[in-house]
Amino acid sequence: MTRIDPGSAEAVAVLVSRLLSGETRALAKAITKVECGEAGAAALLAAIQPHLGHATVLGITGPPGVGKSTLIDALIAELRCRGKRVGVLAVDPSSPVSGGAILGDRVRMARHTGDAGVFVRSLASRGHLGGLFRTAWGVIQVMDAAGPDYILLETVGTGQSEVEICDYAHANLVLCAPGLGDDIQAIKSGILEIADILVVNKADQPNAATTVSQLQGMLGLRSAAASGVSVVTTTASTGEGLPALADLIEAIARDRTTPAGRRRGSRGARRALANAAGDRVRERALQAEDSSPIDALCERFARGEIALDAAAAELVRLVADGEDGGE
Amino acid sequence: MGHPDKTETTPAAPGYREAKRRWETEYRPQVKGDDVRRNRSGIELKPLYGPDDWDSARYMADLGLPGQEPTTRGIHASMYRGRPWSPRMVVGFGTPEDYNKRMRDLYALGLTGLFVSPCNSHLRGYDPDEVERELLGTCGTLISTSDDMGVCMDGIPFDSESISVGDTAPYTLTAMLIKVAKQRGIQWQSLVGTTNQSDYLSHYAALHMFYRLDLPGQKRVLLDHIDWMNRNVPRWNPISIVGQHMQQAGATPAEAMGLTLSSAIQYANDMIERGKQPDDFLPRFSFFFDISISFFEEIAKFRAGRRVWNRLVRERFGAKDPRSGKFRFHAQTSGVDLTRQQPLNNIARVTVHAMAGILGGLQSMHTDSYDEAICIPTETTARIAVATQNILREEAHLGDVIDPLGGSYYVEALTNAMEEKIMAVIEAVDAQGGMFAAVKSGFVQKMIGQSALAFQQKIESRDEIVVGVNEYVYDGPSGAVPPALERPDGKKLDAYLAKLHAFRERRDAAKVAEALDRLGEAFSSPTTNTYEKVVEAIDAGATHGEVCHRVREAVGFGQPLVVV
Amino acid sequence: MSSPGLQGGRPAKVLVTKIGFDGHDRGSRIVAAFLRDAGMEVVYTGPWQTVENVVNLALQEDVDVIGISSLATDHLIVPKLMEALKTAGLGHIAVVVGGIVPDSEVGLLTDAGVAYVFHPGASRDQIVNTISGLAANARASA
Repeated sequence: MTRIDPGSAEAVAVLVSRLLSGETRALAKAITKVECGEAGAAALLAAIQPHLGHATVLGITGPPGVGKSTLIDALIAELRCRGKRVGVLAVDPSSPVSGGAILGDRVRMARHTGDAGVFVRSLASRGHLGGLFRTAWGVIQVMDAAGPDYILLETVGTGQSEVEICDYAHANLVLCAPGLGDDIQAIKSGILEIADILVVNKADQPNAATTVSQLQGMLGLRSAAASGVSVVTTTASTGEGLPALADLIEAIARDRTTPAGRRRGSRGARRALANAAGDRVRERALQAEDSSPIDALCERFARGEIALDAAAAELVRLVADGEDGGE
Repeated sequence: MGHPDKTETTPAAPGYREAKRRWETEYRPQVKGDDVRRNRSGIELKPLYGPDDWDSARYMADLGLPGQEPTTRGIHASMYRGRPWSPRMVVGFGTPEDYNKRMRDLYALGLTGLFVSPCNSHLRGYDPDEVERELLGTCGTLISTSDDMGVCMDGIPFDSESISVGDTAPYTLTAMLIKVAKQRGIQWQSLVGTTNQSDYLSHYAALHMFYRLDLPGQKRVLLDHIDWMNRNVPRWNPISIVGQHMQQAGATPAEAMGLTLSSAIQYANDMIERGKQPDDFLPRFSFFFDISISFFEEIAKFRAGRRVWNRLVRERFGAKDPRSGKFRFHAQTSGVDLTRQQPLNNIARVTVHAMAGILGGLQSMHTDSYDEAICIPTETTARIAVATQNILREEAHLGDVIDPLGGSYYVEALTNAMEEKIMAVIEAVDAQGGMFAAVKSGFVQKMIGQSALAFQQKIESRDEIVVGVNEYVYDGPSGAVPPALERPDGKKLDAYLAKLHAFRERRDAAKVAEALDRLGEAFSSPTTNTYEKVVEAIDAGATHGEVCHRVREAVGFGQPLVVV
Repeated sequence: MSSPGLQGGRPAKVLVTKIGFDGHDRGSRIVAAFLRDAGMEVVYTGPWQTVENVVNLALQEDVDVIGISSLATDHLIVPKLMEALKTAGLGHIAVVVGGIVPDSEVGLLTDAGVAYVFHPGASRDQIVNTISGLAANARASA
């Protein structure tokens, strides 16, 4: 028997129809294809475009140890009780030295492993900065095509600079633990701006109330644009506060059909493209061969013969020329 | 520095400094410059120890006499002269009948300590008919009813010898043993023994198979057990605090000792918080450790641990009763040190382990069988393991002199160095808010995991040699009897399951249901002793699995914290 | 040029797990760290998995290799896993077992389709290289 090339149009069409019919194996394979940019990935993404938009995408971020995975576990349980189907993309960091990774987030979600209404996929950041991974936009679309009501996107959780998630998600949950001044600092310095819902998790600990009022104080100082931000408390380990959180999320899911909600979603594609283009330019600059035009540009910049902005513009042009030439 | 040179003031050593200088000039050229050696706990070892490494003026403060503070030299005045250590073998496989036969055989060979080790399905809190058949009876004995316990103990003098039960929360095996004693007209209140797997903190941190309930529930059930046993079976040790799991999982000897003492501190504080007096419960605390092949380090670990605990109970808890500070422990030779390659070599390893344990002053010991790295010990190999202990006692006379290494410059200096390491671990755990908080956050798991990885990397790089594995490899025949896994035969297993079903049919179902309901309800009242309800449920005829399910419903099923 | 972890543009993906009741996880944790350090992506679970769970994990994660650690005779359940993987259409995944498996029972596992059995004392290089090779084959036949 001859094997069909998995990147062929025929194979992709079969995979897409299996994916759309909700077959788990097809979803897993399609994610791999898009995640790794395997042959046929572009065709697959093109084919699923008419089938997107059902899922509400929620970003879940916050500093390490704050309980993101445990909150997701509790949130899955609550959403399942409401008859919703849930997909989870959980991102862990890759080792900068070996490129390998230990993907352990789903350990906290173990009780949902056998539930056909839940699909969890662990992914490694593979050097991508910003809390997700390079092909996240496409993978979210693949997951959406499989038909879940919600997609929960768990970031690496470095705490800061995870802003790209706000362009991929319809709403962002930012988690913080009570009583940790450093967390508050981290939130002040960046991710507070991207929060739609601030979750004070581990609410059974002392200081939870103080943290809530601190956060509300900070929100009060901000512009009217931040007025829609909710602050909720949860204790993921007991499930306390989860029904209220799920109510908020369901309200967002209904509301995203408004023009504002749609606009937000469309920024994702733009962000994904900009990130990919940025990665490409970066790779070319860092891996330029000796005495290539890019190498020469870098040398000129190193000697101070050309200013940063001018050099950057020149670099983009050189990379574009290289792309045209097909290398 | 203001300290006078100790060697100058040691009358026994006139001329020592000069002699040592001469020795050094001879020694240096004979060794490589970078010959730095460290033991597993990371303590740098000198090539020679002498009077400048141990201040004998501190003898009374640091050592004392056997049975006296700070008990470094042993917890009893007579040690093995008064009562030799007990060879206590972990026995667990097959059906209750299989267990009983093996136990009787070993007893005839000189075993004095009893041990019950149940099947893994039991440890995880199930009755055997709830789980897949492939997983039954290979790693421990099938025990799910008090009738099973009765068969196990047939002809075994558990009323006169101490018995250790591998019993984890909610401690049904101990309850079954009490019921069997009642049925036989034995004074159950005078049973002597140990609930050997009640230290849930060590299970949570290092060995998940004994871990059944969510942490807070586990805590409640244990404290109820300690309290009930202290009041009703006063000579029973309701807790054995275990360093073995942590060291087998990769903790260094100093870490394992420090973490174990931190657990003991946690349990003591928990009991005090309940309004108990330290001298009411501390005399019934006992310990359980691993013995690695790092010979002197293990001896020093035990001596230092004994001293630290003796001081801690007085300084931290204000204990007055001398029994409170007696660091009674069981130890097991290290399974991790054993090799699959050339398995007969393991007999030599186990002998070294056992010697370290005896010289370290243990109270009872399990010696591993040489095939432990290959399969579950067979009858033949278990017999050699018991004989090893008999040989060390009867032929090598290791029990004739108390703490024979006391006063050795090296052993005393190493004991002091181990004490420092152990105290550093205890302080690190204190800084985390105690052992409960430190296992909950993964602090302990990380410490153990890092040490395990570091040690493995030394083996990979051959900085640490394992004979027959990464050096002195020999692929020829080993001469060992090819081990075969002893599995419960299918017919025996069927008969066992039939017996279990018959047990359930025969009992008074209404009485069982009522007892289980009372057990469940006990958890909603903070003042009810839940262990009393476990004992009553077993008395009424509930099975192990039924009790476990009811307790889980009340307090939640424990999930391990996976830390990589 | 490429690290042992890399298989055609994507690092080898390995599920490291334990089936049954045993909780000894020193070995599985060390192996997971070795594989990560060799550039592989490791989905790590706690102990006590069921056959059904492992199949679901392998399915969702699209792994190339499953490594089962067994130190308390739980390896006897592995033939059931092999059957279940085939039924789920995951026959291409290579399964390896590591831990205490008596020589007399290795055949029981390999006959059921287990690709490799690692015994105590297996070196890091042996483990990494074997799994890396198996991952490449599994990917090619997925």
